Amino acid sequence: MLKKIAVAATVLALAIPGAAQANKVKIGFINTITGAEAPIGENLTNGAMMAVEDLKKKGIDVDLVKEDDTGKPEKALSAFEKLATRDNVAGVVGPYTSACANAVASQADKYKVPQLVPAAAKEEITQKGYKYVFRLNAPADVYSSVMMDAILTLGKPQSIAYVYANTDFGISTVKTAQEYAKKLGIKEVANEKYQKGAPDFRSTLSKIKSLNPDLIFMVSYEVDAITLMRQSKEIGVTPKAFLGAGAGFTTAQFLAQKEISNLVFSSSQWTDDVNWPGAADFGKRYKAKFGKEPTYHAACAYEAMRIMAETAAAKGGDRDKTRDGLKSGSWKGIMGDVKFIDYEKFTNQNRHEMLVQQIQVGKYETVFPSKYATKKAIYPFAWK
Amino acid sequence: MTFNVLVQAIISGILVGGVYALIGIGLTIIFGVMRVINFAHGELMMVGMYMTYFLFTLAGIDPFVSIVITIPLMFIFGGILQKVFINRIIGTLPQNQILLTIGLGLIMSNSIMLAFTSDYKILTTSYSSASVSIAGISVSEPLTISFLITAVITAVLYWFLMKTDMGQAMRATSQDREAAQLMGINVQRMSILAFGLGASLAGTAGALISPTYYIFPQVGSAFTLKAFVIVVLGGMGSVIGATLGGIIIGVVESVGAVTISSDWKDVLVFTIFLLVLLVKPSGLMGKSRM
Repeated sequence: MLKKIAVAATVLALAIPGAAQANKVKIGFINTITGAEAPIGENLTNGAMMAVEDLKKKGIDVDLVKEDDTGKPEKALSAFEKLATRDNVAGVVGPYTSACANAVASQADKYKVPQLVPAAAKEEITQKGYKYVFRLNAPADVYSSVMMDAILTLGKPQSIAYVYANTDFGISTVKTAQEYAKKLGIKEVANEKYQKGAPDFRSTLSKIKSLNPDLIFMVSYEVDAITLMRQSKEIGVTPKAFLGAGAGFTTAQFLAQKEISNLVFSSSQWTDDVNWPGAADFGKRYKAKFGKEPTYHAACAYEAMRIMAETAAAKGGDRDKTRDGLKSGSWKGIMGDVKFIDYEKFTNQNRHEMLVQQIQVGKYETVFPSKYATKKAIYPFAWK
Repeated sequence: MTFNVLVQAIISGILVGGVYALIGIGLTIIFGVMRVINFAHGELMMVGMYMTYFLFTLAGIDPFVSIVITIPLMFIFGGILQKVFINRIIGTLPQNQILLTIGLGLIMSNSIMLAFTSDYKILTTSYSSASVSIAGISVSEPLTISFLITAVITAVLYWFLMKTDMGQAMRATSQDREAAQLMGINVQRMSILAFGLGASLAGTAGALISPTYYIFPQVGSAFTLKAFVIVVLGGMGSVIGATLGGIIIGVVESVGAVTISSDWKDVLVFTIFLLVLLVKPSGLMGKSRM
């Protein structure tokens, strides 16, 4: 009998720490840690880790289970299944890429695990009415529409050429750009998809040069943007404006290529000079900690992790309550105001306001919307 | 599409094809002499790229000049790899060779990732986007230089294989390993030489492409695939075949991009690849072995 009590007491003693520390919460984080997308994935990891540290200071102890999807949807899916069934996480932040995030979204309702997508832009992810899928960043259509809105305040472009990576993100961004351009009466003269990482765009670019479009709209990851711009200069392609959507045009490395990056427009989910609470401070701390400029991915991951962990902690790690908490809550932070709402075709989508930046004299300057602008945009484009 | 655009595409294709050829030649020599398919070839190229990058950023040596350092270093690296690892699996089952070379490649790319992070490294020279315009056609300066270097290296290599005793010994080894051994050729040494040469050619290709491309630990895999297509197209083991294969792939990609569309260029490349193999299964310059 005594033995039984002792056992019961031990069991209780073991169980109580979990119960007493209501602010300990288990969150899954699916990201691309290895593989071709790893360099961008690293920014997300850094952002998420910073959020975990900040949460600890606030008394929320996040038990983060990190999974690597290597950029492949099937790996992302199995990672999600593991998090849902074996690790019993309260919610999942990620994955990074559109293809992976979309694959996981299709299963989130089945497992009833809230998923918060930090930075994937494919529209479909929040268009299928999934109850447990939330997205912090603005979807792909905003990448292009916000830039065209900015250009329309500067001039009247007649024609546009598209050059983009044939990924989920590239294709869906250009599709929405085409629809928007059509609405604005801008004529499409070229539509060129390319294989990510291709070393030679010269032939494509010389074809575009011969068509002489007013705008060149590009969707490129990482350093493809540099290759594209280098070869544009080489060939002498000179539109009225280069519009760059996607990660490749918003990196510190692209910025460092002063000869070719000057005056290029890009849209971004986040910049560190925007007056959202804590944005500048986040930028400063990030730079001190990791020795490089934060990309918007880092900010998105930071905010997504904060929102997910705070909500899950407040709901005691219960998945359904966390889901309801995400649905009804609203936040204010480094990404501005966040609220997951249903609008147009979207469900649980944060109506995030994107920013247009232009590189001027080796610096990203926010030029649109005007309430966030730090400098006036320079138009039309000319090679340095 | 105007005539100019087409000429532009052909010229760009030939210039890029030159670098492809260099990658292919390294792979084909290794296969020819050792009958080992080197799946770590792209990673060797990546190591060459990192060498070039650090020679440029730390010592200020121009990428095109730095090949005089990269070539011997990569040769020694390749020789050691062959002596320590590859040598043990010569003549074993092909799957053992595949696993070993893939494994070596993974170790290389992941060690580099641990040491230098997965960040992209970009080598910016004053001529990275420079070009000369000839009759409305722009010719990339860095590509032209790298094409000329490739041409010189290929010529020297060809002379070495055809005219020197050691080159003949290498060719003999690639024709028939046992017979060469019976003739008193040190086939062990030939294998080390072949792998060293292959590695230094891959490293050189890496160095030549650095000023216009970018460098990261996983950059190799895309080029490994390309190198295989080039080598099989040209005929396994044939240096001329690999040169031809590289330039054909470069031109087809480039012309395909302007005549059809850039995302169809790979379809075009592989269609031509399959057609060549249908008509001539041993590749353009390959000899059937049966």
